[in-house]
Amino acid sequence: MFRRKRSAQDFAEEIKAHLELEADELKDEGLSHEEARWKARRNFGNVRLAQERFYLKDRWALFDKMYRDLCFALRSLRQSPGFTITAILTLALGMGANTAVFSVMNAVLLRSLPVDHPERLVFLGTSNPPRGTGTIDTHLTFSYSVYQSLSSQNRALSPVIAYVPLSSSKVAVRSGAQPPEEAEGEMVSGAFFSGLGVNVPLGRGFSQQDETVHAPLAVLSYNYWTRRFARDPNVLGKTLFVNAIPMTIIGVSAEGFEGVEGGRSTDFWIPLQNRPELNAWGNPPDNGKIYTTDPTWWCLRIIARLAPGVSREQALPQLQPTFQNAAFVGLGMKMEDEKPPVLSFADAKNFFGSESAYAKPLHILMAMVCLVLLIALTNVVMLLMARNATRQREFSLRLALGAGRGALLRLLLMESFLLVAAGGLLAWAFAVAATRILGQWAQIESSLAPDRTVLLVTLGALALAGILFALAPMRIALAGKAELALKTSAATSNADAGKSRTGRIIVTLQLAMCVVLLVGGSLLIRTMRNLENTPLGMKVDGLVVFGVSPTIPSVPEGRVFYANLINRLSVLPGVESVTVVEGRLGSWWSNNSSMLVDHRLPDVVIGGSRTVRWNIAGPDFFSTLGVPVLSGRDFADSDTAASPFVGIINEEFAKRFLPNINPLGHTFGPDNGIATMTIVGVVKDHKFRSIDEAPIPMAWFMYAQIPVIGAMNVEMRVHGDPLAILPAARKVVQQLDPNLPLIKPITQRAQFDTTISQQILFARLAGCFGFLAALLVATGLYGTLSYRVSMRTAEIGVRMAVGARRGQVVWMILRDSLLLTGIGVAIGVPLAMLVGHALAASLYGVKPLDAASYALAVLGVTVVAMAASAVPAGRAASVDPLTALRTE
Amino acid sequence: MPTQESNDDRIALLQGTLDLLILKTLALGSCHGQGVARLIQRNSDEVFFVDHGSLYLALQRLEDKKWISAKWGLSENNRKARFYSLTPSGRKQLVEKAGEWQRLSRAMELILKGGMGPTGEEA
Repeated sequence: MFRRKRSAQDFAEEIKAHLELEADELKDEGLSHEEARWKARRNFGNVRLAQERFYLKDRWALFDKMYRDLCFALRSLRQSPGFTITAILTLALGMGANTAVFSVMNAVLLRSLPVDHPERLVFLGTSNPPRGTGTIDTHLTFSYSVYQSLSSQNRALSPVIAYVPLSSSKVAVRSGAQPPEEAEGEMVSGAFFSGLGVNVPLGRGFSQQDETVHAPLAVLSYNYWTRRFARDPNVLGKTLFVNAIPMTIIGVSAEGFEGVEGGRSTDFWIPLQNRPELNAWGNPPDNGKIYTTDPTWWCLRIIARLAPGVSREQALPQLQPTFQNAAFVGLGMKMEDEKPPVLSFADAKNFFGSESAYAKPLHILMAMVCLVLLIALTNVVMLLMARNATRQREFSLRLALGAGRGALLRLLLMESFLLVAAGGLLAWAFAVAATRILGQWAQIESSLAPDRTVLLVTLGALALAGILFALAPMRIALAGKAELALKTSAATSNADAGKSRTGRIIVTLQLAMCVVLLVGGSLLIRTMRNLENTPLGMKVDGLVVFGVSPTIPSVPEGRVFYANLINRLSVLPGVESVTVVEGRLGSWWSNNSSMLVDHRLPDVVIGGSRTVRWNIAGPDFFSTLGVPVLSGRDFADSDTAASPFVGIINEEFAKRFLPNINPLGHTFGPDNGIATMTIVGVVKDHKFRSIDEAPIPMAWFMYAQIPVIGAMNVEMRVHGDPLAILPAARKVVQQLDPNLPLIKPITQRAQFDTTISQQILFARLAGCFGFLAALLVATGLYGTLSYRVSMRTAEIGVRMAVGARRGQVVWMILRDSLLLTGIGVAIGVPLAMLVGHALAASLYGVKPLDAASYALAVLGVTVVAMAASAVPAGRAASVDPLTALRTE
Repeated sequence: MPTQESNDDRIALLQGTLDLLILKTLALGSCHGQGVARLIQRNSDEVFFVDHGSLYLALQRLEDKKWISAKWGLSENNRKARFYSLTPSGRKQLVEKAGEWQRLSRAMELILKGGMGPTGEEA
């Protein structure tokens, strides 16, 4: 038997019939017509509900309901586009900022190295290197002999892996017929890939044998392979010339692995070499010694894997004696009062250690964006509450018509879901774009893009926001109860919403958070200003700098090369002067050691430092850089290996080590006494390593007079755009040696700026977040206050009808906001002081209690609060009293 | 939701019993929904109160299961009404369910009459 499905209408018909039959019967029992109809209806109960249940009987109820809720929610959001857009944008900004900063933090501080069991890896550190050594980093670098003796044991650590960059910046690389270029390369132990557990999907990694024989092999990083070789699988077996030394490419490492240190992205690796052209850090051989033969040069970083079953606590004491013996190899006996260096382990799990320079700013930024998010969320909640308070009668009506609380909640959930989904999508797009820009600004070459962890966290936060957005207005919706629909005056029904205590507390807290963010932002922005306006002590405009790393067979030939280069470059059109310098200014790079002054170690006050920063420079160095020579003269072409050895010092050197006398004619020299320089000039203190450094004693050697020569930086002062000279300069360099690229060509100004780029980035971001927060608070306040005022329209009408003046009404409203602002400021300022204290280390030239910043912040929130309440107050007061009273 | 004032003599129907009551009522002859409600109420000495919405949904459910059939007709006082009657398979269900119910109520009775428990001395 085939039957059509029964229609809902048929069912409704049946119920109607029922009511009539029942009424008939009740009439028979003696009730009046009206009474009977009424009682029949009452006896039946909820007719609509029965019909709805019939309707839902055969449907996939949940889906159907959701679909209908979705349509309804879309419709109702479309009805108030202003609310919808504000809510979505607020959420997108708050969430997007959070996602962006969190993904940076995730990439930098939380993401694990893409290696096997990263938690078993440790970086080796030392308390201090023995006396008489030179280091790259006092606590993190080791000598080759230390590496060798540590790797010859295998009870505690296995394997022990050393790695060291081929240059403090980049090295010259050439392959095939392509022009030479610069790339980041590292020399590594044979166990580098196998020990870390990094796959080499194409070709192979290195072996212990490769390290032992210093095999001329290279493994490329996936990114470099992509960038330079277009992922050509036939790259294996090709030759890569590194500083003109041929290396055979034997592998390409796994995607995502760019070395064990964050921030850098290594392009290729070669086994530890023992030839002078490939010395560690690109340094020239020192008296013919390179890193493998010079035990006084602590230049290798060491990462190691704990041997199976050995904990860190067990491994350290086992290694300590081995390390302390090895530390003094080649240094002679340890002095009596000298404390032996102490080995320590640091986490190697992440790209950057928790003590890295990025950690603190990132944590502060994270806290800031969390505040921003909090403000954004409360804003949306308040918007929702305001919107739904005006919908209270709608909700009451729905309840009265038989909607269950569940149905209301579903509707609110659906609306909030739509808001959150739209906001979340925008936020994600914002975060992806922001991290890309951030990476460029911060010059972090490893990827900062949000990954799966970030996605999960963001989704979690969005889900919480969604539930919050649905529940907050639910309270208001239900507070109305069904009876409210019967009341006619919106003014009465909304009377308490306008003065709601929750609303006031939220506004006050937002104001307080805004104070905190504005103070933090302005402290950092003042720091940035100070850094940018710090005098460098030289004329950087018009200066361009680039590196060259020629192959230098002997020291005299090296001198000839550079003299030649300077001569040829200085005749280029537009060039004012040219000089060379070993350590590039503004690159964080420096040589530091004690110096003999007048043949002995200078006396210093107790606890004072004898450290002198030294550098090797060419003729006319100071005049090219624009550093004033206070007395004596600059280096000149006439200073040669044959003439008397000369040196130049700065003011601080003279003040510290040759006080109250004319330094000219006195001498200084390295503390091993191999050379003595007569001071021929004193120059004004200027910035050297970075912009934010304090003056430190400095000494310069003339490159043509010392027995060491290697890669140098060329400084050119030119007329017009400094970078425009580069093509011509490149041509000159390649005429001298076709293997040479210009390494990191950049204006000297930009080079110095890199030393504060992190602070500047941090300050910019913090400033942005401060003002974003202020903007959010302003819109939130405006929305809330104007809503609160609009709820009081009837009250204002009454007041004005009985004679209140416009000004009085406006003042009444403003006074209320001023009170909230006052409380907000009172809470915010102490909090801001805490934040300022936490920021202290990141500030430059500003005190954490900088009065101007606080005053600005307080002024800022006051203006925002006043503006946000004055406009609606003025509007309310200009309403005709009669209209106000008639407001339903 | 509108509330039904509570009446101590009335007992809300147990889940599943409504079907049985409907089948039993229709066994006496075909009837419309309002009649079924009245009959259940009257035959239970007004103890059972049938929620009318649930009744109509139950009728629909039984109809979907083909235990009862329905057609529109006229009531004794000439009103349009939907009349339900038992199908053969409904009759079979009635026998089955009634048996089930009797077993259940006998068991309930045994327990309830057995006193407070195996050691009900106070009685």
